[in-house]
Amino acid sequence: MLAASPTTLPLFLALTACKGPAVLSGPPPVPAQTQTLLHALTAELNLIWIYNKTMAEYSGLRPALAPLLAEHQAHLARLRARVIEPPGKQAPDTATARPAVDPTSAGALSQLRDAEQAAVTAQLGRLAGASPSLAQLYASIATSEATHVTTLTSRISQSGARS
Amino acid sequence: MKPAAPTAVSGLQGALAAEHAAVYGYGIVGAVTTGSTESLARADWLAHQEARDTLEAMLVKLGATPVAASPAYQLPFPVTDEASAVRLAAALEDGVTQAYLALVAVTDRTLRSFGALSMQPPANRALAWRGSTVAFPGMPTASASA
Repeated sequence: MLAASPTTLPLFLALTACKGPAVLSGPPPVPAQTQTLLHALTAELNLIWIYNKTMAEYSGLRPALAPLLAEHQAHLARLRARVIEPPGKQAPDTATARPAVDPTSAGALSQLRDAEQAAVTAQLGRLAGASPSLAQLYASIATSEATHVTTLTSRISQSGARS
Repeated sequence: MKPAAPTAVSGLQGALAAEHAAVYGYGIVGAVTTGSTESLARADWLAHQEARDTLEAMLVKLGATPVAASPAYQLPFPVTDEASAVRLAAALEDGVTQAYLALVAVTDRTLRSFGALSMQPPANRALAWRGSTVAFPGMPTASASA
């Protein structure tokens, strides 16, 4: 039988008394890369929301906006496929930003273009800490959004020329 | 087994090879087109030459020998008229976008950012040629969904 020595017993007590059993502790912190991915998901949900709202208020814009909305839905699906839900945290499924749509259709297009430009900047900001394949997904989505900026800018110019 | 991430030099060489192919390809596009389409092709040809020069300078700075252009390239399909030339231009831009996306896989933050930003001009030129956007520029499915 092992007897507790005067030196090992205090050490044992010190080690075990510091923390309770692991089962009682809260969920581990969400890794930074997962947190970033969850932010990217929320950003896509917010873009999809504003597209849907704009198309609901300005039905004449639907033909032009529907393909861009479909691409955002594809982005959302691809991002969602990369999420492994951390313990105690669910992947977001609703928009967190629901701004009022501009009272004119030209203004609404500008609002979408600005949202797309902000999304490009945000995606590029996610590259640094991402794994290579996730960085490529962010870069591809950022590029897609950059082409949306071009498309919307062209549309705004056309509507300006007509008015 | 996952493919190994490219090094800075191999990623830049891949992008340079794509730019060489685009410079060659736009020579074909320009030869078959006329008027405003030819002018657009010429502007894009010059943009690819500029990008090629930038990549060569970056490689030299890294102590590497920039990959040389091939004397000729296999076209993905016969280019016989303006419509096929326009399709070739879009395909060339897709190829360049894909090459820059490969560069995003490097671990160096500056190069990763350079690769991501460099995807935007060719993706926008592809949009101009094709007339429509794609959901995932540079990804293997981009051309297929066009």
